Amino acid sequence: MSIATSPNTQRTPLAERLDLIISPLFALTLSLIGVAVWFYSDLDKTTLSILDPEKLQSQLVETISLGLASSALVILIAVPIGILVTRKGFPRLKSFLVNTLGLGQSLPVYGLIVIFFSWLGAGAFTVLVALATYSLLPVLRNTIVGLEQVDRSVIDAARGMGLTARQILTKIELPLSVVVILAGIRTAVVINVGFAALAFLVGGGGLGVTINSGLVNNRDSAILIGAVMIAVLALAFDFLSALAQKYMKPKGL
Amino acid sequence: MDFLIGLFEFALSRQGRVFGAVAEHTWYVASVLVSAAFIAVVTGVLTRKNQLAKELSLSVASVFLTIPSLALFVIFIPLVGLGFVPSFIALLLYSLLPILRNTITGLDGIDTGVLESAKGMGLSPIQVLTRVQLPLAWPVILAGVRVSSMLIVGLAALATLVAGGGLGDFIKDGLARLPLPNSLESIWLGTLLCLILAVIIDLILQALRVATISKGIR
Amino acid sequence: MSDVLIRLENIVKSYGPDLDPAVDNLDLEVQRGEVLVLVGPSGCGKSTTLRLINRLIEPTSGRIVIDGEDVTDVNPSELRRKIGYVIQQVGLFPHRTIAENIATVPNLLGWKKKDIATRVDELLELVSMDPDTYRDRYPKELSGGQAQRVGVARALAADPDVLLMDEPFGAIDPITRDRLQNEFLRLQSEVKKTIVFVTHDIDEAIKMGNRIAILREGSEIAQLDTPEAILAHPADEFVESFLGSGAILKGLTLKKVSDTELHQVPILTAPVMREEALKELQESPDQVGLLLDSNGRPLRWIDERALNRTSQPIEKSGRPVTVDLQPEDTLQDALTVMLQSSAGMACVTDRRGKYLGCTTIESLAKLIMSDGQG
Repeated sequence: MSIATSPNTQRTPLAERLDLIISPLFALTLSLIGVAVWFYSDLDKTTLSILDPEKLQSQLVETISLGLASSALVILIAVPIGILVTRKGFPRLKSFLVNTLGLGQSLPVYGLIVIFFSWLGAGAFTVLVALATYSLLPVLRNTIVGLEQVDRSVIDAARGMGLTARQILTKIELPLSVVVILAGIRTAVVINVGFAALAFLVGGGGLGVTINSGLVNNRDSAILIGAVMIAVLALAFDFLSALAQKYMKPKGL
Repeated sequence: MDFLIGLFEFALSRQGRVFGAVAEHTWYVASVLVSAAFIAVVTGVLTRKNQLAKELSLSVASVFLTIPSLALFVIFIPLVGLGFVPSFIALLLYSLLPILRNTITGLDGIDTGVLESAKGMGLSPIQVLTRVQLPLAWPVILAGVRVSSMLIVGLAALATLVAGGGLGDFIKDGLARLPLPNSLESIWLGTLLCLILAVIIDLILQALRVATISKGIR
Repeated sequence: MSDVLIRLENIVKSYGPDLDPAVDNLDLEVQRGEVLVLVGPSGCGKSTTLRLINRLIEPTSGRIVIDGEDVTDVNPSELRRKIGYVIQQVGLFPHRTIAENIATVPNLLGWKKKDIATRVDELLELVSMDPDTYRDRYPKELSGGQAQRVGVARALAADPDVLLMDEPFGAIDPITRDRLQNEFLRLQSEVKKTIVFVTHDIDEAIKMGNRIAILREGSEIAQLDTPEAILAHPADEFVESFLGSGAILKGLTLKKVSDTELHQVPILTAPVMREEALKELQESPDQVGLLLDSNGRPLRWIDERALNRTSQPIEKSGRPVTVDLQPEDTLQDALTVMLQSSAGMACVTDRRGKYLGCTTIESLAKLIMSDGQG
């Protein structure tokens, strides 16, 4: 999975299978390291209070809900905009978007969250808006590129058979671009779940709190376990989106 | 407008710190890109004849990119401590996939006739690699470096969280002092300088492209 | 010409114990200075056989001897530098200029820069490309035909004794292919290399080869002989069916325009007065005359009717000469041009385009008849 995903979704069957093996393997290894640290290192009182299971559980829930909510928001905004600008009449807006969205990647998420904080105040909502803004880029970009790469002759044929513009969109263009759009959404979900860990910066909770407490109190085990939990969470979401991508792909593509 | 002027004055009054942070940030990007390009190209070359090894290296590199940046920045702290090293490792792992993927695509995409004639004229396998394959894959590799550079410029702002310096320092300081005077300026300065740096690095890479790619394949 | 340069002895190439071998116990001798064409249906192993000679494919067993030296076990890269290799896809290096492409092997062999530069220009001249125009261009700026000329020049760069050509003109349009074939024959008459040439096109084989080896599956030689002998006496049904119908027509590719007697028609040199032209035509037994420009290049076919019909200047009456032949073109080319020409004959020019004479259907028929009797 890549944040910088090019709409190159043409992976070989071998590669698809490997992806579904390697990432769980990594997650498993990381989990084992986490468990080993938990059970075999001397955890002092401070560490134990940072790693209170109840706290961890609520942080986990916060991270997941933040990641999913911002992803849902992004899909609701980016896909319609992508469809709109690929209709006739917006050629200049479209090329502007495609060209600048690449640069948007170099926008520091950290800065983005803090800037939104200065406008919207503390809390999870601020993070939600910041994440949605950042992950808008891959979904919008992939929607545009996905719709653009649909074979013109197929659309011409559909028009020739008398399909309306709306029918062409829903029955031809969207099904034929769903692979690329899904790849963008998968990227966005992983980005959002991952960066949701930064919510602690502006009082938005989440698993970042554990890492931060570990950093502040200089407790390596806490840092490690927090990092492992976030990493495994992101790998799990990536794995699930990979499965979804695999099974939602229209047959014949 | 007032804010922009304020921002400018803020930057001017802290020239030394601004230059220092920009230098640190640039050093991250430069050292990471050079190391990542080296590792990716070596990996791509070594695995070029083995489909499984190729796909395996891609899968591993893509796992790195999946791990959230905060986790990747802090996960090495128990081993290497705070500062430059954990940030460098995290950024390095992040930048591998785009370059590696493009190296592999670039090497795979070379016309078989070109390889056949190179071999047929008596170039040794090493000569085929250094005189034909790598020069022909180079434009694609460089495109991968460009994608990675965009990614790295933004993520390097997180180095400040593990005391690794860089432009993130301005964001962190601003956040800590909010809503005191100059805190907003500090946040915006850090963020905008990242974007400006990204544009400059992109221009440099463009120039590198023109300078290092033969006219015959540009 | 019994000096053997390349000898393949008991060559077997097998890709697995369960598969039929691609090359099954092949013995083949190539003589110094000849063009030996390997021709056969696709999958017969002709390309494999060619690639065994420069060891792009290693034989499973057997020996390869070149110029008396057993090369079965020498360093393959060094062997290949002594053998020119031309393939259908050309395979020019797109990141290098034409000159750099041609200089590849001389560079590998460590020639001096000055010698290389001289050699590059010499080779470009040899393949009829202007060195000053093309030296610093890149492959993407060339047409398919030009690219293959450079491919041939590149293969000849280090002056190898042996040239291997794998369907070199297979991807080129028919008109250009024809021109390249003729040019190649001219070039070969100058450089006299030992050439092994692979094609699936029997017409090309007949035209290019001093000898032809017709191969069937497993690279088994069905017949190996001169084109004339194969056309006259096919060894078996396989060869016969591979030759296809029209052996006489195919034989036309073996004869050149210069083998026929050239016919002289009335010549008008521009500028010329209408009356003068009419008189000239009326005095001749021929129906048509040829208008040449001041350099002696043919411009138009002119006949009496065309002159009488309009009052247009003579430069615009009659029909334009669209194609002309050169003495080294084959009679098959000549026949094609004649059939397309409005005058029922084709004019022959030298390489600069200067008029030499005309070939007619009659002269062609006479040549075939005399051949049949002899």
